Amino acid sequence: MTLAGFMARNALRNKRRSFLTIASVALSLFLLCTLRTGLREMTNPASMEESACRVAVRHKVSIANVLPAKQRDLIKRVAGVASVMPLTWYGGVYIDEKHFFSRFAVDPAEAFRQFGEMKISPEHRDAFIKKKTGCVVGIKTMERFHFKMGDRIELAGDVWPCDVALEIVGTYRGGIDETILFFNHKYLDEASGNRGVVGCWWVLADRVDSVPRIIAEINRMFRNSDAEVLAESERAFQMGFVSMLGNVTLLIGSISGVILFTMFLVTASTMAMAIRERFREIAILKAFGFRSSDLAGLIVAESLLLAMAGGVLGCGGAWLMFRLVPIDTMTNGFFPIFEVTPGIMAQGMGIAMALGFFSCLVPAWNALRLSVVDGLKILD
Amino acid sequence: MIDLVELTKLYRQGDIDVTALDRVSLHIDEGEFLALMGPSGSGKSTLLHIMAGIDRPTSGQCLFRGVDVAQLSETALAEWRSRHIGFIFQTFNLIPVMTAAENVELPLLLTRLRASERRERVEFALELVGLKDRLKHLPRQLSGGQEQRVAIARAIVTDPELVVADEPTGNLDAHSAHEVMGLLATLNQTHGKTIVMVTHDPRAAQYGTRQLHLEKGELQHDTAQASPAEAEA
Amino acid sequence: MAIPLKYNLRNLLVRWRTSVATLLGIALVVAVFVMVESLAAGLKHSFVTTGDERNLLMLRKGSTADSNSQIGRMQVDRIRYMAGIARQADGRPLLSAESVILVSLARASSQGEANVLVRGLEPAGLELRPQARLVEGRMFRGGLREVICSRQLGERFSCCQLGRSFRAGKNQFKVVGVFDAGRSAYDSEIWMDVNEARSVFDREFFSSILFRPENEEAAARLKKTIEDDRQLTSRIIREPDYFKEQTMTAGPIKWFGDFLSWIMSIGAVFAVMNTMYATIGRRIREVGTLRVLGFRRREILISFLLESLFLGLIGGVIGCLLALPLNGVATGTINLQTFSEVAFQFRVTPDLLIKGMVFSMFMGVAGGFLPARVAASTPVLQALKSV
Ligand SMILES: Nc1ncnc2c1ncn2[C@@H]1O[C@H](COP(=O)(O)OP(=O)(O)OP(=O)(O)O)[C@@H](O)[C@H]1O
Ligand SMILES: [Mg+2]
Repeated sequence: MTLAGFMARNALRNKRRSFLTIASVALSLFLLCTLRTGLREMTNPASMEESACRVAVRHKVSIANVLPAKQRDLIKRVAGVASVMPLTWYGGVYIDEKHFFSRFAVDPAEAFRQFGEMKISPEHRDAFIKKKTGCVVGIKTMERFHFKMGDRIELAGDVWPCDVALEIVGTYRGGIDETILFFNHKYLDEASGNRGVVGCWWVLADRVDSVPRIIAEINRMFRNSDAEVLAESERAFQMGFVSMLGNVTLLIGSISGVILFTMFLVTASTMAMAIRERFREIAILKAFGFRSSDLAGLIVAESLLLAMAGGVLGCGGAWLMFRLVPIDTMTNGFFPIFEVTPGIMAQGMGIAMALGFFSCLVPAWNALRLSVVDGLKILD
Repeated sequence: MIDLVELTKLYRQGDIDVTALDRVSLHIDEGEFLALMGPSGSGKSTLLHIMAGIDRPTSGQCLFRGVDVAQLSETALAEWRSRHIGFIFQTFNLIPVMTAAENVELPLLLTRLRASERRERVEFALELVGLKDRLKHLPRQLSGGQEQRVAIARAIVTDPELVVADEPTGNLDAHSAHEVMGLLATLNQTHGKTIVMVTHDPRAAQYGTRQLHLEKGELQHDTAQASPAEAEA
Repeated sequence: MAIPLKYNLRNLLVRWRTSVATLLGIALVVAVFVMVESLAAGLKHSFVTTGDERNLLMLRKGSTADSNSQIGRMQVDRIRYMAGIARQADGRPLLSAESVILVSLARASSQGEANVLVRGLEPAGLELRPQARLVEGRMFRGGLREVICSRQLGERFSCCQLGRSFRAGKNQFKVVGVFDAGRSAYDSEIWMDVNEARSVFDREFFSSILFRPENEEAAARLKKTIEDDRQLTSRIIREPDYFKEQTMTAGPIKWFGDFLSWIMSIGAVFAVMNTMYATIGRRIREVGTLRVLGFRRREILISFLLESLFLGLIGGVIGCLLALPLNGVATGTINLQTFSEVAFQFRVTPDLLIKGMVFSMFMGVAGGFLPARVAASTPVLQALKSV
């Protein structure tokens, strides 16, 4: 039997400990991957290529202030603008707060032109344009509530002082968020007494290059009007929400740090335990003439192996779990996607490897220095 | 005091049955000091374990004052041991984190004695084994012989009727072995304890009042010693 | 009588390196648990302690917060002179029609922006909120673009400090005073004159009306009259109850905390198990000896359970001590109902500490149970013979 074989058998002798060590490393890495993914999705929300051509226009004071409808024609005239439409957060309550999904009022003729990544069949689109009380619902929400074409959805206004009764005339797939309900802004205008206001303007540029110029022009155009606006890229608009989260990101960051530290502590102590238990055997091997450096190398290899096994389980488990579990519906669309990226997994594996290496350093060093006489004296 | 009736112990190792004890029948009187001898693997320890109630026979009876020990439940056995048996091991088996006095006190925790009474008994037992000045020492601060004497003190502190010892001198040098054996003989003669001891050392066996030989699980011959060992020593 | 505790304590001391690592593992889990829970508790506290039991708040029916409620001028006039509303010293009704506007402001720490709630109120609004006291500067005056800010807000938005100013839309606002609302939800707001707010931000509508009925009986009557009036389409709610409804944001935080704590606690249980299995493995001969001496299985089991419980206990104490300094630290996040910033403080309550201790002891016992059972159920002979 080779020396490596002997050590391998030894490592597996205490299967329970090997299992517990692997499991606790796996658990920690699972958490770490989850937190990193959550943090990434929150601070760096996913976006589609199509997003680069879109500009969001909101009231300068804050997003909660409405804009006058008459701005539409002025924005339309800006060179390079391919499409302008109102995008208004309606919110509302469907049955109760637990049945949450996003609801927006839009211009049916423009919506799916602007959001090109959301695929809708031409028939559904036409029906949406024709029927004023019609709405289009994302496929995930259709599935969640078992909606069928032609179903009626009644929403009670919370942000808006009016209720709406909608009929499902279409559904879309694709895009980052497949849970949204879109309905006709004209219907909202009528229901709320034609006040001539919208939440935001959504603008599609003809080319990516013209986006900065369009933003600058729109901002200048309304500078000294009653409703000064803030035009920004769709991406920047998204990031505005991130900044509203406040200290949450810091909190998650520091918790990840604590987990790392705890994990290191626990793994290191387990490794030390496992190796100290084997001091006697190590001493015997040394007495036979095996070199200390070989033995220390084997200890490091064993520790690395255990930690990496935990890493694979933890990172892989996180990846698998968040593929299977519908995080988007569970969090009411707060996380439209929750993907453990290869980058995050690679990072996790790196951490596992470092963990395995550093946690066995001290015990390996002790084993290296261990004199044969001392080792043999250890009885139990 | 003890009656062994057709005691048999089988170990099943795969397809092969190992007969550790083969229909051993034996009577031990109160006040005897029995030395159990025989080659390695002859079943001495097995016999001792069954008498001490930490192992069960495959068949046969082990009667202690007429009670069949083998029939007692696990919990009842534990209680029975704490009241009737004192055990001395080859490797002492003191608790490393406890001082000599605390080790000796351990079995007393199973009685209803008050703390002061317990201390008195502990001191008495340690005085008996000549270690009254080592109350506060941890096992690793004692020599092997001293450790074994602490173990003896622990075995007798509850005043059990039967003391069993498995190779009590196996790990000791000749001098310490002599001390320990002298102590056991005193216990037997002065304090009237019944002692069953397994040993490989013929000199140690001389201290016994009766010698018993086991061979392949069978009782070979049984000699009541004519004269106690001290006479020689 | 049981196996003495000092046996366990000394064993913990003998292998102190492993004990310390395990202890710290538990401690950190408890610390994270208490930390996240105290965040939720602080958030809840700031809402729950807001408002005066005697005050009633009128909102548009269906609206979830005053920031999305609308009340017309005519409605305000109708309510203002209803019978049963208490009077101020000068004889006018103790009622404040208010307008709430969200304003996007730059944070002090990072570059980011957040929405801050600006409340336009009438002078009676100050009298209705005795919780808030002016602590620096002076009260705002109408027509001069003056505001007062809560002190807590000033810590998070430097433009909200005394003497500073900020832009919102076309207008520049000057901070002339700083108030302290006793860590209530009002500590996340900027206050100014209501008429000026409506004209500057071009608001046709008011958001809400806060008023104080003369007595309980008048309160019930007013509530009924107003809510029964089909034209008013309003709802009446007690001011503290309104703020209790605003704690939705605490939900996800608590959920997050629970998720974290559960997963981390499984890890900690594994650590305890590892430690206990190792120590029992090393002490199995001692277990055998104890059994020979007459100790029963139950006593062995209890002894080892106590040992791991003790690990949990000490870990819990350390964890609570680690989390304690967080008490009172200011922080802030978004209110998911109004999309505005809430400034609040971590609250490490005795209640939470007890929860943390129970949690840690649970981890100790859960981790120790299987190993202790192994120790207790190993046959005496086998225990004695093992190395
Ligand atoms: N747990 C076991 N499983 C299988 N066989 C066993 C077991 N314990 C003991 N034996 C067998 O029973 C027989 C008697 O063993 P025992 O320990 O009583 O011998 P012993 O006389 O005490 O020997 P020694 O003098 O070497 O201590 C031996 O052949 C041994 O192999
Ligand atoms: Mg033997």
